[in-house]
Amino acid sequence: MCKIDYLGTGLCASGAERHFVTFYPQGRMDLYRGLAEGLIPTTEALVESADTCTLCGSCDKQCHFATGMRPLKVMAALKDYVHEHLAAGRPVLKPPADGVLESLREITGAQWASNDPAVLMTYSDDPSPLTVPRMPRYVVLPGSRDEVSAVVALADKLNIPFAVRGNGGSVLGFVFSDGIVLDMNRMRKLEIDADNWCARVGPGVTAFELQQEAIRHGFRVLTAEPEATVCGNIVCTGIFSTWSNVYGTAADGFIDMEFVDRKGKPFRLSSKDAPNAFAFENRMTPSPGVCTEAVVKLHPVTADEEALLVPFADFEAATKFAREISQRRLALALAVLGRHYMANFISPSAELADRLKRFLPDVLGMPYAVFAIADTFGRDAVRKLAPSVIDGRMIRTMMLSLPKLVEREFEQMARDYEGDSAPWEILSRPEMQVLLQPSPDTIAGAVDEDLRDFYRELYSRPEMTDFVWLNTFRIVSARMGRDRHGVAIILYVPLDKVEVSNRIKNELDRIGEAHKLEHEYGFLTPLDLGKRAVFEYDYYFEQTSAEEKERVRQALAEIMPWLARFSTENPGIANMMNIFSQGCSRKESFLYRT
Amino acid sequence: MRLRISTPGLEARRRDRTSRILITGGTGFLGSHVAAELLKRGYPVSLLARSNEKPAAERLQQLLDWFGLPDETRRRLRVTEGDILKPMLGMQSPVLGDALNTTDEIIHCASNTSFSARKRPQVESVNIGGLSRVLEFAAASRAYSFHHVSTAYVAGKVSGLCSEEPVAGHEFHNVYEETKNKGEFMVTSACREAGIRLTIYRPTIVYGDSRTGRSLRFNAVYHPIRMALFIKDLCEKDIREGTGQQAMALGVSFESDGSAHLPMRVEVDKQGGINIVPIDHLTNAFIALMEGAPDGGIFHIAGDRQTRIEDFVEYTSRLFRLTGIRACTVGEFEAAPRNSLETLYEHYVGAYAPYMRDTRAFSRAKSLPILARSGIACPGFDYEVFKRCMLYAVETGWGARLFVR
Repeated sequence: MCKIDYLGTGLCASGAERHFVTFYPQGRMDLYRGLAEGLIPTTEALVESADTCTLCGSCDKQCHFATGMRPLKVMAALKDYVHEHLAAGRPVLKPPADGVLESLREITGAQWASNDPAVLMTYSDDPSPLTVPRMPRYVVLPGSRDEVSAVVALADKLNIPFAVRGNGGSVLGFVFSDGIVLDMNRMRKLEIDADNWCARVGPGVTAFELQQEAIRHGFRVLTAEPEATVCGNIVCTGIFSTWSNVYGTAADGFIDMEFVDRKGKPFRLSSKDAPNAFAFENRMTPSPGVCTEAVVKLHPVTADEEALLVPFADFEAATKFAREISQRRLALALAVLGRHYMANFISPSAELADRLKRFLPDVLGMPYAVFAIADTFGRDAVRKLAPSVIDGRMIRTMMLSLPKLVEREFEQMARDYEGDSAPWEILSRPEMQVLLQPSPDTIAGAVDEDLRDFYRELYSRPEMTDFVWLNTFRIVSARMGRDRHGVAIILYVPLDKVEVSNRIKNELDRIGEAHKLEHEYGFLTPLDLGKRAVFEYDYYFEQTSAEEKERVRQALAEIMPWLARFSTENPGIANMMNIFSQGCSRKESFLYRT
Repeated sequence: MRLRISTPGLEARRRDRTSRILITGGTGFLGSHVAAELLKRGYPVSLLARSNEKPAAERLQQLLDWFGLPDETRRRLRVTEGDILKPMLGMQSPVLGDALNTTDEIIHCASNTSFSARKRPQVESVNIGGLSRVLEFAAASRAYSFHHVSTAYVAGKVSGLCSEEPVAGHEFHNVYEETKNKGEFMVTSACREAGIRLTIYRPTIVYGDSRTGRSLRFNAVYHPIRMALFIKDLCEKDIREGTGQQAMALGVSFESDGSAHLPMRVEVDKQGGINIVPIDHLTNAFIALMEGAPDGGIFHIAGDRQTRIEDFVEYTSRLFRLTGIRACTVGEFEAAPRNSLETLYEHYVGAYAPYMRDTRAFSRAKSLPILARSGIACPGFDYEVFKRCMLYAVETGWGARLFVR
């Protein structure tokens, strides 16, 4: 998240200037780990990375909001280390350029290709239990489609493997290579074509940046997590989100895509002689090439959109309700959320999220909620169908009063309340405002004292408690793996047979218990008028624990064959694992395999 | 079906203290008090308890400390982790085999006491589903006696004297009454089929210890008082930390001597009141009936008379320095509609109305003679008892600081 200015508090200046991840806080964290574990020497790039950090502290705020981490201490420690290293007159490695690097630099310009071990290290690993670190020989940042073509052609000619990186990691290790890593961060074309309801997007543009631009022009786009690159996301899995209820997924999201093939030849998907990337094979297949541009769809927005939550005590009832809302075309964004997502999305600290995770089912009686964004007409209809709803105003009250909400005083009151209103309905009562004191000040009380002014100011902004805004930009969804890393099981499921999703959920629960893993249902979003849905279930683990990582691997080794068997018995299930790199497919190709 | 044990046989086992008693709901208010008293009197007791965030044994230790039970008494206690919502109470072999072979009597205290219609699934799950599981376990075990803790309010929507007999075909005020009523029929039928002796205990509303004021639960009779104080505290907070608008809208004000004025009428029925029994009486009466009626039966455990709501209003006002609260009849509300404070109060305590304006009376024709033989009478309820109980409630933060040393 340190590559996008999602809080409007400013970006790490050196990252925006140098583009290599090495010059962002995320890269510096890796560098410090690399030094501590003896993986890299002190190199020229490492010294530059440390030097260019001004200790401005913007990373502390941004990182804390999403992950709870405070990277500034690590930045300072890295700078101290470098300072002492130089003061002691110790050597600084400047790796010699070889012929391949010279060729790469001829293509991109000298500053955009590197074989510095410090740079390479920041492109070699991520916390996934399914990947092993792979140190590339070169990292290159092409600036145009022609440069991408030339780099790919060179790699092909020299028989050097390569991988393309958007903005982060990949659970399957697709962004790692022993050869060349192409970081697309410099290719930042972003043009809105209002007449044709589309935006032209370069592969370095993030979901957040595109959404921001679309909203500025009065539109919305279907995007994934804010820091994810739009092109990377489309190619990888196709974009899916709660908005997929109306915007679809995979090929629904774009009008055209431009690629460079494995030989370095550019092509557009809309060309009649292009490879058929709209088709789907139910197995892992390579991507069509390196994406150099996506032409994505823009969608209209109305001024009366608002969010609401419909609480449910069980998953099956919630899923049936979501399906009905989708069938009746009543909502735009739509999902069945579990307690883990709800608690983490709205809590500014992991500790508070943990308490809220128990509080939601135990005290408020809502382990699940159907989340919907709809216009006035849609919301009126949902209210008629729903037993009880939490509207935007109550969501805001809940968010701004969280630290007081989970305190014993309210908990006891809610537990002992014997009236026929649902416990969450008490929240909207005027006297509760006195007890809960919903305000930026109250929610800021949940974080470290030195961050409270910042959080107070942040939560004074209306959009920070507006679920339409938050869901459009998806900035709070980055909190889902805040305290522990997660592995997601993502499936497409038939929604007309709700029991299928229920059985999958129960089996994933069982396997999580059997392997002693923290496991939680994530979300389910209806697709295609409630005929199908995308379903996510997550396993969490301590990323520094080899033993926990091994248990995740063992759990996955049990899940995957079971899912394969279950899918053959139950039509309409597709495993996202088999859709990787086929994100340009028509969704019908994998949702309805006749 | 032939009974599993003869009356003399049962009495001998009890006398020798060789009759092991399994208690469900043993960490609850009634169950824990009955368990502690049985242990003190030398009975071997097994408690069935769920593990939640804390293991069952750890929670039990906390409770036993609260009761101040000495170690030699605790040695007679076994804790079995289990769940009445699961078949065979969630026990697996070999624990299950041991429990089936060593359980002589069962006291079923576990219950969901919620009145709210929205909680019907949970209430039915425990009071019907859970009871079924316990009865299945009882039938499979060697148990010869079943003690079912019911409620006097199985009587349902009636007025006048309620007898110590089965009650059928009535309407009920809430799902709690309804499920407890159904439970009595279930337990009667299951015990008859299995040859198990059955005693049904029907207490009215239970509050803390009349001698010490101590309690483990602060709902029921405590709730209306707690809500009045809750509203008072909110208004105080609003005036102190906020704009004071909420307090003003409710008409709540504070005098310079620290007293609070709450302009609030509480509806009463001149013929009715609330029937309450202290936990110390309930415990003693329970054991006296258990020992004194080996052939079983249905017994009310009730106070000698209804306590008037007017008394509660007076006691509350005096103890907590409140003015403006007064009892009135329904006719007054028709003449002058509820103000904001009354509407708010009604929102939080409305579910308790059937018990605050209760015109039901509970016959003790069967229970009183047995209790009299043991010299047991229900202590009266006066200001001093009220004060002890409420001060303990406030001291423990209405339960929040119950186990804080």
